[in-house]
Amino acid sequence: MVRSELNERGPLRVFEKSINGGLGKGHVGVLASKKGVGKTACLVHIATDKLFRGRHVIHVSFSQKVDHIVNWYEDIFKEIAKKRDLQDAIDIHDEIIKNRVIMNFNSQGTTIDQVLKSLGAMMTEGNFPADSVIFDGYKLADASQDDMDKLKAFAKESNIELWFSVSLNGETPTFNDAGIPTLLVDRIKDIDVLVTLKYEGDHVRFQVIKDHDNMETKDMSLKLDPKTMLIARE
Amino acid sequence: MKTDISKMRNIGISAHIDSGKTTLTERILFYCKRIHSIHEVRGKDGVGATMDSMELEKERGITIASAATSVNWKGYDINIIDTPGHVDFTIEVERALRVLDGAVLVLCSVAGVQSQSITVDRQMKRYNVPRIAFVNKCDRTGADPLKVKDQLVDKLGHNAVMIQLPIGLEDKHEGLIDLVTMKAVYYRGEDGEDIEITDIPSDLLSQAEEKREEMLDAVSMFSDELMEAMMEESVTEDMIHDAIRKGTISQELTPVCLGSAYKNKGVQALLDATTRYLPDPTEVENIALDLDDEEKEIVLEHDLEKANVALAFKLEDGQYGQLTYIRVYQGHIKKGSELYNTRSRKKFKVGRLIKMHADHMEDITEAECGDIAALFGVECASGDTFVQTGLNYSMTSMFVPAPVISLSIEPKDKKAADNMGKALNRFTKEDPTFRTFVDPESNQTIIQGMGELHLEVYVERMKREYGAEVEIGKPQVAYREAISKMAEFNYTHKKQSGGSGQYGRVAGFIEPLEDGEYEFINKIKGGAIPTEYIPACDKGFKSSLDKGSLIGFPIVGVKVTINDGQSHSVDSSDMAFQLASRGAFRDAYSRAKPVILEPIMKVSIEGPTEFQGNVFGSVNQRRGIIISSADEGTFSSVDAEVPLSEMFGFSTTLRSLTQGKAEFSMEFLKYGKVPKGISEELIKNYEEKRRQESGK
Repeated sequence: MVRSELNERGPLRVFEKSINGGLGKGHVGVLASKKGVGKTACLVHIATDKLFRGRHVIHVSFSQKVDHIVNWYEDIFKEIAKKRDLQDAIDIHDEIIKNRVIMNFNSQGTTIDQVLKSLGAMMTEGNFPADSVIFDGYKLADASQDDMDKLKAFAKESNIELWFSVSLNGETPTFNDAGIPTLLVDRIKDIDVLVTLKYEGDHVRFQVIKDHDNMETKDMSLKLDPKTMLIARE
Repeated sequence: MKTDISKMRNIGISAHIDSGKTTLTERILFYCKRIHSIHEVRGKDGVGATMDSMELEKERGITIASAATSVNWKGYDINIIDTPGHVDFTIEVERALRVLDGAVLVLCSVAGVQSQSITVDRQMKRYNVPRIAFVNKCDRTGADPLKVKDQLVDKLGHNAVMIQLPIGLEDKHEGLIDLVTMKAVYYRGEDGEDIEITDIPSDLLSQAEEKREEMLDAVSMFSDELMEAMMEESVTEDMIHDAIRKGTISQELTPVCLGSAYKNKGVQALLDATTRYLPDPTEVENIALDLDDEEKEIVLEHDLEKANVALAFKLEDGQYGQLTYIRVYQGHIKKGSELYNTRSRKKFKVGRLIKMHADHMEDITEAECGDIAALFGVECASGDTFVQTGLNYSMTSMFVPAPVISLSIEPKDKKAADNMGKALNRFTKEDPTFRTFVDPESNQTIIQGMGELHLEVYVERMKREYGAEVEIGKPQVAYREAISKMAEFNYTHKKQSGGSGQYGRVAGFIEPLEDGEYEFINKIKGGAIPTEYIPACDKGFKSSLDKGSLIGFPIVGVKVTINDGQSHSVDSSDMAFQLASRGAFRDAYSRAKPVILEPIMKVSIEGPTEFQGNVFGSVNQRRGIIISSADEGTFSSVDAEVPLSEMFGFSTTLRSLTQGKAEFSMEFLKYGKVPKGISEELIKNYEEKRRQESGK
């Protein structure tokens, strides 16, 4: 398969279709689930899909080392290339790598001001024209309203979309009647798109809880392939 | 004489500049000598001349500056192998790491884990070297060994565990608490040699108990026996030592010691830890490559009776001539026996065999597997493998990365010219990534290496060690040419007018080769080209790769397939087919969409976060790709891939951008395509140069 075909037919088109054509620049999207379901894999797949389409992505992480994030990207790329039998995979890989930067914030007590300052430096001094920023492992639910406002303002001013992963507490997280995780009930007004991941039987299903102005819960007809950790059609 | 190999240690001491490696090494030698002279009677034959040079060494009566020094600590023979401080000399560092079985990672208790520690640690990981950490300089203002331990965990990903706690820090640093024995250890006397062991001071007891628990929890993962004993509360010291040893050797645990070498605190305890936890030579697997079998890996055996295999890992010019340091991996090397150098394919006889001690040189009659010794007067290069006649093993792959940068050098005067020759001869022997030749076109001496700094250091050494001052030219990047698509050829070389004629036709195609430089496939059927001329075709194509037509640099990654051709019963010859092949290549090359490749370096920059923007900017301006950045609060680091041609003068730029507070390291990563604009410019310059030359 050639790259353009992959872009047109990939499962991520289904993903975008169910959230009204995509998150959109200046907006905040959240992927929520309990720990260990596969949020990082999904974010990396979403990011890789953007890279395939020539977009620029910054991946912000808060872990100890960047190596394993790089490995995530390598694995997801390999799986996609294998599954879709991608032509010129090596060249495409080298090309899209140029459009991805991983920024890791390791110290405890990193403030959102520091993160945004570094992102700003990467985009201006580093001349990196980011389209999307992926925040993996940022405790969005615990952020102050002030920090949340700063993040939203940053998304608007820089004209980029922000994707967050949010880990829900405990083995069986609670949700309200509208399907919103209890942890995020107070935050929902600041979130444009909310997608939850839940185990159902032996696989993980995707549900849209909030899609811009639409608060109706919808099934996305997508699942997470437990072997490859890729987002796949049901 | 059969030594107890379980009591032998080959260790390296590795450290960031300024973390006190020299002082620590000196203290180790000093204490070992003391113990040695107290417990053992010296006077074996051949106590050689002392090799003191530096003042400090004179004062203490020991030698520090040696590639490998043998000491004795409580009945253990420890070979301390010098690991070079420059991270840029990849080959030299890696060669030293090859011969180590374990290492002490010295860290400053104030500065903690720094960028060089990260690089060295990465290399050690690659060579599977088990490590113990020593947090030095606990007497300094701001000392915080526990913070350094946390950095070992966070920055280096070690499972680091304190096995000691400090008694007092900064100017109150007196000694340490041994968490295994749960005793306080004080170092008294002028040189800290009087060790006083007491109960733990009451104010430190609760912290010690807590940290001991932590240590036991981590360590018991490696020993079921210990885990059971913990439940039954019958833990013995030996059980703990065994478990730490297992964890350390499997590289899943890094025990952390501490002290202050300068103030004579904790060094003896570090030596105990070294002998207790680091592996003996039999516990490490060593692999040789069989050169007769496509470099197939062979696991060497610690067997005195097996055929000899040894690696020459360092050459040293001493006052007694050239010393070659070797590590014996298999068998035992006897004085007077015959060895074979698998690189130079020459046999030689082992003349003088010696061991370097801290305070003397000892003549020995044999060196057993696992041990380190030195040979006198052997003609070889460092990295060579010596084996018993009949074997053809190499300890290191014969593959040496091609140099990526070159520099012209010109001696300033006659004397410098003579000395320069000597120096170059020496350096090329020591370091296979350093090469030199005389450019036939410009008649200049060219040196080649793995980076700007790599060459700078050699230019500096030429001046300092050999008194050869040279003028240097502008650094030149080693570009390559390559093809990007398949192209067919069908070429006839014909010269049949008068005299003996030449005739040959070759047909086939060339295509890009992913890994490897050149491959030749013969698919001729039915003798279209007689078999006797096939080698000539191969030779013709291969020689075409020496100089590409785009910018005159070598062509890499070409697979040639020939599938048809024609010969003439009288006029065909080797020469005719060679010329036909060259013509065919020239013809196909332009149609195979040739591209220019340039060396891309992996660059790591580390500095205060306040300058992060400047660092991003400078990488971006150099056509670099930022792979990742890591923000550690006040400090941050950036990993990037940058073309070598853009890295000239980077150290100066970085210094001025960051007020000298950032540092960087780089190593060769891969060859990458040159962007179109730059490629066009290079081609234009090359054509211009050729026009000028032909116009001359």
